[in-house]
Amino acid sequence: MGRHWAIRFAALWEGRTNPEDVGTIDAVIRGFEASGYVLDQPLATALFLLLRLGKPLLIEGHAGVGKTEVAKALAAFLDVELIRLQCYEGLDVNTAVYEWNYQKQLLAIQIREKTDEEEIFSPRFLLERPLLRAIRAESVSPVLLIDEIDRADEAFEAFLLELLSDFQITIPELGTIRARYRPHVILTSNRTRELSDALKRRCLYHWIDYPDFDKELEIVQLRARGAPRELSAQVVGFVQQVRSLDLSKPPGVAETLDCVHSLEALGRTRLDAEAAAATLGCIAKSVEDSAKIQAEGIDRILSRAAR
Amino acid sequence: MKQPDLVRFCRYLRANGFSAGVTESLAAADVVGVVEPGDPGAVRWALRAALSSSKEEWDSFDRLFDAFWNAQRAEPNGRRKPALTEPRGFWTLTGEPGGEVRPTNREAATIAGASDYARLKKVDFSEVSQSDQPALDQLAQRLLKQMSWRLSRRRKPAGSRGVVDVRRTIRGNISRGGEPLKLRYKDRQRQQARIVILLDISGSMSLYSMFLLKFAHALHRHFRRAETFVFSTRLVRIGPMLRSHNLAEAMRVLTACPADWSGGTRIGGSLSEFNARHARLLSRDTVLVILSDGWDTGKPELLAAELRSIKSRVRKVIWLNPLLGLPDYQPLTRGMAAALPHVDVFAPAHSLESLLELERHLG
Repeated sequence: MGRHWAIRFAALWEGRTNPEDVGTIDAVIRGFEASGYVLDQPLATALFLLLRLGKPLLIEGHAGVGKTEVAKALAAFLDVELIRLQCYEGLDVNTAVYEWNYQKQLLAIQIREKTDEEEIFSPRFLLERPLLRAIRAESVSPVLLIDEIDRADEAFEAFLLELLSDFQITIPELGTIRARYRPHVILTSNRTRELSDALKRRCLYHWIDYPDFDKELEIVQLRARGAPRELSAQVVGFVQQVRSLDLSKPPGVAETLDCVHSLEALGRTRLDAEAAAATLGCIAKSVEDSAKIQAEGIDRILSRAAR
Repeated sequence: MKQPDLVRFCRYLRANGFSAGVTESLAAADVVGVVEPGDPGAVRWALRAALSSSKEEWDSFDRLFDAFWNAQRAEPNGRRKPALTEPRGFWTLTGEPGGEVRPTNREAATIAGASDYARLKKVDFSEVSQSDQPALDQLAQRLLKQMSWRLSRRRKPAGSRGVVDVRRTIRGNISRGGEPLKLRYKDRQRQQARIVILLDISGSMSLYSMFLLKFAHALHRHFRRAETFVFSTRLVRIGPMLRSHNLAEAMRVLTACPADWSGGTRIGGSLSEFNARHARLLSRDTVLVILSDGWDTGKPELLAAELRSIKSRVRKVIWLNPLLGLPDYQPLTRGMAAALPHVDVFAPAHSLESLLELERHLG
């Protein structure tokens, strides 16, 4: 109880949002809006549950729909540190959790000739990697983003499962480190492979689809403030049409933004066939996709978008 | 929202194919406890976040939610069976689907016995009876899933020396003043093989191609590095489609897809198209699987040349031929005869059992 109040007071003192104080789903929506992220009701509900129940949230969706952005916005909203672990094939505990500082250890051993093990394996020689850092937070719960978990191996997934249930890490030489402030965990996946049932069971789930026209326009307006509204609307309409073409890499919101920024840089104020062709590289990310769009006819896509 | 209703809702979802188990049932109670009870939207979204765990479940949640709660409103007290038959205490949260919510057809589908399984594993795909089809599908799904899990976990023990393990080296040499006299090695983990499947969907294969497609789909669910193409007179890449849809949906999309289902076959031509456009998928850790009966209307020299070029770049070329299941089949067609010298493994693919054999060659 005492600690609880201390946290609350500290948060108040520093002007931070305390997760316990996030009373309503609306408060989450308003808070995110302040940090430039447009949140819909269902996602706001999921984030509200994440904060209130302390459960990890698994977000899936196509590439470029803003999965990672959710974690960034959450960290900004709570005004806490965002710790990010980017997963890849072959990611192991040494890169994700901790590593000993070998050079330093070797130097220490050589300088003193005789050294006992305990000294060499003390926190002084420990290199923190993202997961350990998230567990060792000293004053407030950070946001831990585990990005593209589907790219990591099953073995790492199993390790993560253990971490997410106990929020503790055992280092053989040091003992067990338990989280004093449990991180708010967000996992993202592009669905390149199926995740284990156990992991999915532990998490809340949210699927982010491509935004509809109005929402995407709203996002573009928020993120590319300088761009004229008409131009943004044209680009959004164009990209939305392109998405329905069944490309191998359909453009995400990031691509829409790229396109708007590029047109601005080129000094264009409206999107015609020529401007669209000039910035096609922002939207089509392979030769085949680019050919497919051209075969469909940029003119035709534009006129469909205008309707 | 009353607790028993919530429990029944979880069972209803489970009966409709959700994987929602004990943990989710408890989570449902948790989430409903913290959202505004007067806000029906919030309750729905909170339950959706807690109870679904894949896009498929996410997509069907709204429909099931409406169906269940509308029925619930119509018959608020809706408990027809006496409470005695229901499990008690904690297990009421997790018990078998029962009570007034009936399991769907899927749940009630044929439950086959062990001897039946043995028979189904051996049955030729072209001779599967209508009544066996659902049971075979179910069995295939389960076994293929197990197989891909086993494959994705298997690692080859490090035969050669891998990377120096600095941590264990230092620890082992503290007594020597830190001088790394004796090096320790880490086992190098072998990467999961990439599988590229080329599936023949021409007319002569029509009895088999649907089933083989299901096989490819199962592999895609668990192999991150899998890629599938179908071919008859030309080549169509279907990997992304298989990955992003569940099986029923993938089948629907595929039948609408502009490949020549049941047309003639140009195996050599399709392979050369593959080499020209997708050769970057091939590498030393690739296993190329061709599923075809070898009836080629093109030139056998072309087939041989293209296959030789593929073989020089991959770890293994596996040719699975459904006709090999026939007792007196001889690979005498010109295409098949031309291909054989460039094939590492030539094996049947007419039954579930023969497909599962593939595991030996993929490990």
